[in-house]
Amino acid sequence: MKEALTPVQTLNAHPDSRCWFVSWSPTGTLLASCGGDKAIRIWGREGDSWICKTVLQDGHQRTVRRVAWSPCGKYLASASFDATTCIWKKKNDDFESLTVLEGHENEVKSVAWAPSGNLLATCSRDKSVWVWEVDEEDEYECVTVVNSHTQDVKHIVWHPNQELLASASYDNNVCIYKEEDDDWECKATLQGHTSTVWSLAFDATGQRLASCSDDRTVKIWKESPNESGQGDVSWKCVCTLSGYHRRTVYDISWCRLTGALATACGDDAVRVFKEDETADPEQPVFSLAAQVTKAHSQDVNCVTWNPKEAGLLASCSDDGDITIWRFQEED
Amino acid sequence: MASHFSGVLQLTDLDDFITPSQECVKPVKVEKKKGKSVAKIQIEDDGSYFQVNQDGGKQKLEKAKITLSDCLACSGCITSAESVLITQQSHEELLKVLHNNKASDTEQKVVVVSVSPQSRASIAAHFDLSSSEAGRRLTSFFKGLGVHYVFETSFSRTFSLLESQREFVERFQRKEQDSKVLPMLTSACPGWICYAEKTHGEFILPYVSTTRSPQQMMGSLVKGYFAEQQGLSPQQIYHVAVMPCFDKKLEASRSDFYLSEAETREVDCVITSGEVQKMLEEKNVSLNDVEPAPLDTVLSSVSGDEFLNHSGSGSGGYLHHVFTYAAKQLFGEEVKELTYKTLKNKDFQEVTLERDGVVLLCFASTYGFRNIQNLVQKLKRGKSPYHFVEVMACPSGCLNGGGQVKPSPAQNPKELLQKVEELYKAERLLSPEEDTHVAELYQSWLHGVGEEKAKELLHTHYHTVQKMTNGLAMKW
Repeated sequence: MKEALTPVQTLNAHPDSRCWFVSWSPTGTLLASCGGDKAIRIWGREGDSWICKTVLQDGHQRTVRRVAWSPCGKYLASASFDATTCIWKKKNDDFESLTVLEGHENEVKSVAWAPSGNLLATCSRDKSVWVWEVDEEDEYECVTVVNSHTQDVKHIVWHPNQELLASASYDNNVCIYKEEDDDWECKATLQGHTSTVWSLAFDATGQRLASCSDDRTVKIWKESPNESGQGDVSWKCVCTLSGYHRRTVYDISWCRLTGALATACGDDAVRVFKEDETADPEQPVFSLAAQVTKAHSQDVNCVTWNPKEAGLLASCSDDGDITIWRFQEED
Repeated sequence: MASHFSGVLQLTDLDDFITPSQECVKPVKVEKKKGKSVAKIQIEDDGSYFQVNQDGGKQKLEKAKITLSDCLACSGCITSAESVLITQQSHEELLKVLHNNKASDTEQKVVVVSVSPQSRASIAAHFDLSSSEAGRRLTSFFKGLGVHYVFETSFSRTFSLLESQREFVERFQRKEQDSKVLPMLTSACPGWICYAEKTHGEFILPYVSTTRSPQQMMGSLVKGYFAEQQGLSPQQIYHVAVMPCFDKKLEASRSDFYLSEAETREVDCVITSGEVQKMLEEKNVSLNDVEPAPLDTVLSSVSGDEFLNHSGSGSGGYLHHVFTYAAKQLFGEEVKELTYKTLKNKDFQEVTLERDGVVLLCFASTYGFRNIQNLVQKLKRGKSPYHFVEVMACPSGCLNGGGQVKPSPAQNPKELLQKVEELYKAERLLSPEEDTHVAELYQSWLHGVGEEKAKELLHTHYHTVQKMTNGLAMKW
């Protein structure tokens, strides 16, 4: 059995600029992209090809670093180097700017919605992680500001079914947060990477977390009850993938349908890893299933699995392009 | 090293670890000495620099120094200021001054220590004493070290509360003419002020109360009234404040509180409750073994050997006092008890005065950065219903200040905070209006309430810090 990653389509999404991030809508029918041109583009499938449906242009004054869909698919959040986060509301095929979240001291690096859709998290170069609460009237209030990292916070992700948040930072650590007594606290610090941690991804159950780093490795962390049996949970590194990536691993996506791990790398490649299902769960084994070494002409910034269509993968790059891939077994 | 500053200040830090030289742009003036332009610079083993002239003569070169006031005036890093602080404001500085006093007959300084009631409560909790007992023993400890006078800052806070009350009523009466007079935001918290000046400058500063904090009121009293009374120049007094908060060191260093004629600061040095505890440890002294001393009464709010305190929050009770005063002055209502309504969390509370279903006064207390953030956003969106807000940077306010004595490993921080709060609240209360000593000082020292001298000595100014944009600092 052999797998392959084949390109479906390449879109010159953010011409003469970088494409920083792409995000599938919860139904998998739309793809949002953002870039150094300060724009957000919404892509939809028409017939066999993906076309640009909408451009959201005047929300931000600087680079848009990340976009995130709300779990209901009606809202889009965009995080920008202009220190703000914009919330957009979908109206038919168009989007209107609903509100602008201010407060971070400088570049907002990432934004993510909690599975309930009532909480939104942002993180920034100002080293802080913020959680915002949304009420019925679409009003946003800051519920916490946590300063657990000592450097730039690159990325944040929510647990798939709990109100648990994970962040990755330039300080080489991953922090896990939970609400306690009406405020949020860092409950665990995952140490192991030897350079910037760029991105994180939970598996479908939320019991494991994958992290990728400037140290060219991917690590898999597993939640385990604390040795004392009390208090904070601890996360142990159960697997390290090294030797595959020649440069910084910028992004990682864990497919909730198939369990495949995809990575975006500074060596211009996109790679897919599959887990050996016969291995001991405490010592999982991942092997390289497919790779495209020249997936893009420059750094690959992001990879993301379609949430509904197994094997459909999107990547984007400093070259300004988005590529849609299909990962499947070769005949 | 973990930062001691409040979370608010840590947030205004601009990544100085990565790019210190880019951010620190303060020009530094170095006195140039005349001489030939050709010289070698030699670095000694101890790291000092010497200029070696052509004739072989050596001259030690001065290091460029950044002072804390430089840091405060700059929108760049703030955590670097921490090392600056340690050299200028620490208990070691106080010990140095005391040592110099003993060592030399000339250049003696009169050393005055002003202890905050929050510090007293924190130290009391640590030694299992009552707050007043801790105050008496601290007086004794400091005097044993050579300190001449030990005062306490509930006394100066009476001035802060009275001035806040009057300022509020005056603002309230002007609210139709000027949309930026309300809500009045308190200014006693230096972390909040630093954040407001650096981040929201022109927008937020008009709302901020000009009334001085208790620490800086004490500065005025000690270097003004007390110096005069003792026939001393302000420079002859070394004034130390003991505070629950690290950020207070920044406040004391503000140029607004520097007496340029006398070339001295109103508060020369701020040490935290935790640093006092450290001093005790270094001297191998437990407060439990110290004999209590009689209290200095010149600038203290005491009755016999008991300390007096104010009603309301452990952060000074600003909301409480301004609310009761305003209700009476503006609406003729006697408020006996305030009902605090908790909003999103315990650090955001509201108090209202209603008559026939109409809200006459709407006050709030917002502690901690997340609540400050929501307050600022409400103001920016024109959605603030408040007339007055007691703003503090620390969650739970000043009793939980970053400079308080740290819980021991076995201690639960929340239980300790509760204990400190109980000790603080157990002190006898004095209403600011009933302090005859203060009333008398208004007449004799300030030439009456609301006079020019009172405005000058009891109020202060704030300054917008311009943001720098630096293209090179781009990060992805």
